[in-house]
Amino acid sequence: MYKTLLLAADGSENSFRAAEESMNFIDENTRVTILNVIGTDDVKNEVLHGSQSGNVTARRKEKLSRILDFYEENGITYEVVFEHGSPADTVVNVANNGAFDALVLGTRGLNNFQEMMLGSVSHKAAKRVTIPVLIVK
Amino acid sequence: MLENIKKEWFTQPGTNILAGIVVALALIPEAIAFSIIAGVDPMVGLYASFIIAVVISFTGGRPAMISAATGAVALVVTPLVREHGVEYLLAATILMGIIQVTLGVLKVGRLMKFIPNSVMIGFVNALAIMIFMAQLEHIFGISLDTYVYLAITLLIVYIFPRLVKKIPAPLVALVVLTAAYLMFGPDVRTVGDLGQIERSLPGFIIPDVPFTMETLRIILPFSLSMAVVGLVESLLTARIVDNATDSFSNKNRESRGQGIANFITGFFGGMGGCAMIGQSVINVRSGATTRLSTFTAGAFLMFLIIVLGDLVVQIPMPILAGIMVMVSIGTFDWGSFKYALKAPRTDAFVMILTVIIVLFTSNLALGVIIGVIFSALFFATKISRVDVHTETAGSSIYYLFQGQIFFASIDSMMNQLDFNIHDKNIELDFSGAHLWDDSAVEAIDTAVKKFEEKSNKVYVKQLNADSRKIVRELSRLNEQHLMQ
Repeated sequence: MYKTLLLAADGSENSFRAAEESMNFIDENTRVTILNVIGTDDVKNEVLHGSQSGNVTARRKEKLSRILDFYEENGITYEVVFEHGSPADTVVNVANNGAFDALVLGTRGLNNFQEMMLGSVSHKAAKRVTIPVLIVK
Repeated sequence: MLENIKKEWFTQPGTNILAGIVVALALIPEAIAFSIIAGVDPMVGLYASFIIAVVISFTGGRPAMISAATGAVALVVTPLVREHGVEYLLAATILMGIIQVTLGVLKVGRLMKFIPNSVMIGFVNALAIMIFMAQLEHIFGISLDTYVYLAITLLIVYIFPRLVKKIPAPLVALVVLTAAYLMFGPDVRTVGDLGQIERSLPGFIIPDVPFTMETLRIILPFSLSMAVVGLVESLLTARIVDNATDSFSNKNRESRGQGIANFITGFFGGMGGCAMIGQSVINVRSGATTRLSTFTAGAFLMFLIIVLGDLVVQIPMPILAGIMVMVSIGTFDWGSFKYALKAPRTDAFVMILTVIIVLFTSNLALGVIIGVIFSALFFATKISRVDVHTETAGSSIYYLFQGQIFFASIDSMMNQLDFNIHDKNIELDFSGAHLWDDSAVEAIDTAVKKFEEKSNKVYVKQLNADSRKIVRELSRLNEQHLMQ
C-alpha cells in the first residue's frame, strides 16, 4: 500500500472513478492529497455563475464533494489542495515536487472540447511526471 | 502603511515586470481596435490605455488588475463621436471621471452586490455580441484578400498559443501579417485608411468645447453611461482577479481610482476606459500580483507607441477584426445556454432581457440598469407572496403561514383567510413566517379581531423570536391569544 498518494481531481465523473480505483492501492494509513487546479480562465465562470457571497473555498470543495464523501466513508485520511494555473503544468509540478508515492488521475476531465484544444492533462502527466502514474479510464 | 506599499508594489518585481510587458504587447491591437469602434484616431485609444494603466496602478483598489481603453466604453461613445466629434468625447471622459469619483466616495462598491449574476451574464454577452457586430463592416464586402487575412489571423490566434505560451498570439498575428502586407501589398484596408495618426507624447489639453449648459446637456447622458459601464466591468473584473489570486480588494477605492484615471485621461487626449477582463486574466496568468505589473503595462505601451508609431497606420484592418472576433468569443459566457435552460425562469428572462435591451439601444448601461430593475421587481414579487395553508377538522380550523409578512405582502395574506366562519377554534401557525413591520402586526390584529367578532376563539402560535418581539411591543393581542 502507498504511504502517500496524489489524486488530481476536477470533480468530473472520471475523477470520481479515479478515486474509486485508488482504493486498490491505499488503506487507512495512506495520506491522500486531492489536488484541484483552478484554471485562470475558469475564474470568470466561477464569478458569473457562482454565488456572490460566502466562502470561495467552500464552493470549490462543493464540486469535489462526491470524492470527499467517498473517502470519508472508507476511512481514508485526505487533504484538499487548490492551486491556480494551467491544469497540466500544475499537476506535473505538484507531483514532481512533493513527496508522493504515486499520482492517480482520470483520463479525461470536465470539458472534452477544451481537452481537444489544449491537449490532455493525463497525456502530459504520463509523459512528464517522474513518480508512478495511474490513469483511470 | 509602508509595509503595505512595499507588498503591493515590490513583491516579486521580476515576474511582475515581465507580466506587464506581455500585457502591453497584448494591449496594442485591442487599444487600436477599440479606437476604431469608437470612431476615433487610434492614438486616442493608445494614449488612454497608457494613461489609465499608469494612473490606476497608483489609485486603483485591485493590484494586478489591468485597466485601459475598453470595448465597453468605446461602444457607448460611438454615437457621441459620430455626431459631435472627438473633443466632446474628451469632455465626456472628464465628466465620467468626476461621476465615478463621486460614486466611489458614496461607496457604490457595496451596491455592486445588487447586480445579480443574471445581469452580469447579460452584460458580458451583450458586450461580446456588440464587439463582434462592430467587426462585420471591416470583414464583409471589401475584398478577397480581406477574407484571407482574417482567416490567417484567426488561425494564428487560436493555434499559436498551443505552441508558445509566453508571447501574446494577437501580437504575433499583428507583426507577421503587417510585415506580409508591407511586402506583398494585398488589397486590404489599413488603419491609415480610417484616420490620421500622429506620434507624440500626450500633452495636457483642455477639450475644445464651449463651456455651456448645451454642452453639458450633450455629454451628461454619455458620461453617466460611460461611468456606469466602466464601474460594472471594473468591479466584475476585480471580483475575477480576487478569485484568481485568492485575495480581497477595496471596491470603493477602485471606483474612485477609475474616476481619477478617466478624469486625467480626458485632459491628455485619451478616451475613457475601465478594467479589462481579458487583459487582467493574461496578467494574472503570467504570475502578476502587484501594482508594478499594471504600471509596467502602461509605461511599456507608451514606449512601444513611440517606437512603432509610424507602423500603426500600416496595420491591415482584417487583422484587427480577427483579433476582435477572438476577443468577443473569449468575452461571451458560453455557459449561458445551459443557464437559460436551467436557471430560475425569472433569472433567465432578466439575462436575455439585458442582452436584448443593449442590442436594441446600443447602450450597455441601459441594459444593466433595466436588468437590475427587473430582477428587483421579480424579487419583490416573489418575496411579497405569503402562502396560507388551511386545514379544517371538526370545530377547529388551522392556518399555516409561510413567507415574509410586511407591508407589501399583507394583502396576499389577508385574501387567503375566510372571515365568514363562526363559532370555531382557530389556530394561526406562524412557524414558516416572519413578521417584519407594524403593518404586519396590525394585519394580524385585524384578522384576530374579525374572527372574534363572529365568536371564534383565536390562538396565535409559533412566532419566531423577532416576530414575537414586535408583536409584544405593537400588538393588542393578549396572553390568551399567545397561550399555546
